Amino acid sequence: MIQVEVIGVEPACYRCKETMQNTEKVAAKLRQEGHEITVSKLDVMNKSTMEKYGVVRTPAFALNGVIKIMGKVPDSGVIERIIRKEL
Amino acid sequence: METRSKIRLIALLSVIIIVTGLMAWSILSKLNLMPTATSEHLQTLPLWQIPLYYIWDYAKHGWLCLSFAFIMSGLFQEFIPQDLMLKYMGSGDWRAYIFATLLAPVFCVCSCTMVPIFGGLVFAGSGIGPALTFLLVAPANNLLADIITVQVMGWPIALADMLAGATSAILIGYIVSKTPWGKQFEEKFGVRAQTAPDVDLVDEPFDDRLWNAFRFGGQMAKQILPSFLIGLVIVSYFQAFFPEEIVRNLMTGARGVLVAALLGGPLYTPTLIEVVLGRALMDLGMSPAATVAWLMGQPYDIPNSLSASKVVGWKIVVTYGILALISAILSGLVYGFITGGF
Repeated sequence: MIQVEVIGVEPACYRCKETMQNTEKVAAKLRQEGHEITVSKLDVMNKSTMEKYGVVRTPAFALNGVIKIMGKVPDSGVIERIIRKEL
Repeated sequence: METRSKIRLIALLSVIIIVTGLMAWSILSKLNLMPTATSEHLQTLPLWQIPLYYIWDYAKHGWLCLSFAFIMSGLFQEFIPQDLMLKYMGSGDWRAYIFATLLAPVFCVCSCTMVPIFGGLVFAGSGIGPALTFLLVAPANNLLADIITVQVMGWPIALADMLAGATSAILIGYIVSKTPWGKQFEEKFGVRAQTAPDVDLVDEPFDDRLWNAFRFGGQMAKQILPSFLIGLVIVSYFQAFFPEEIVRNLMTGARGVLVAALLGGPLYTPTLIEVVLGRALMDLGMSPAATVAWLMGQPYDIPNSLSASKVVGWKIVVTYGILALISAILSGLVYGFITGGF
């Protein structure tokens, strides 16, 4: 079970949106292969997000509670590589 | 390394070297990167041609400066370890102010980046002072804005703008942190026992990172250029038809500083446009001192204030707005007295 969180601002700017779209694309692909993946969007200004992750540069990408990418938009290739490592 | 990566690496590096080289050459040979259109010439054109001519005139000179600025902001974003700097900024004593001021130029203009860092700094316990200093310095003194201000306004005014911006941001941050509502805000959100978050960033090969830098520069361009073009259209008509006497009368001397400081804020446009509009006003007769005050009017613009007030509350926003206005006026006056540029 893989848990992916995309951390961004609300309302989402285009950088966060792009990250979310790329993530969803990869998740859909991996789900078809039979893996279980949840993708959720966290608001960076939310207290609980800050408590969990501290000062974050957006967009950020966390896998099972560990931040893997921060402050840049990962393309789907990078996302897929990161997730596949944990499968 | 694969051949494909190698080719990409060489191509990207050559673009960087060529653009940087051209930029250095244009600075050394003192090329003018600003539009050279005069009001008299613009007035002879048909109405619909004015913006086209002005934009073409700007693009002819400005493309190099803009490409350089976008590429550099991408490289900074990708290769400077910003997380380390955030740690320094969060140290919570007077050093945090210095770091916030010195490091802000490295972070790029984008509300998506600014507000979260601001919120994170306050929450992580750096105090509202340094966080506010950061929020004030970053839009005015970031790499992109600095390169363009220097190119468009020249060194003396650009340097004065950076220095004045940094000084007043530190003072404003400090003063606000001493007000009752500043303290109240800190108590509500401030220092919390924080467990170190799990961060394990993935390594990417060098050519991928270089490509990321270009992508970031491109995204910045995509975000900024449309409003910049609209701004240039407005500025072109402004330069063509705004009566010179009004600018000469209103925007010179001590009164000019006051007027420029008052207009520079509410009339907020993205930095790029503010700079070009300032240049157009200067060509129409605004004094250098008033120009400094004009450029300082960024922190208290209305859109910026609205997004900040969602985080910190209107009392803090009003306090810093008033303080920023005062500091814009003072900077203009000081610049005028030192250089005689009223």
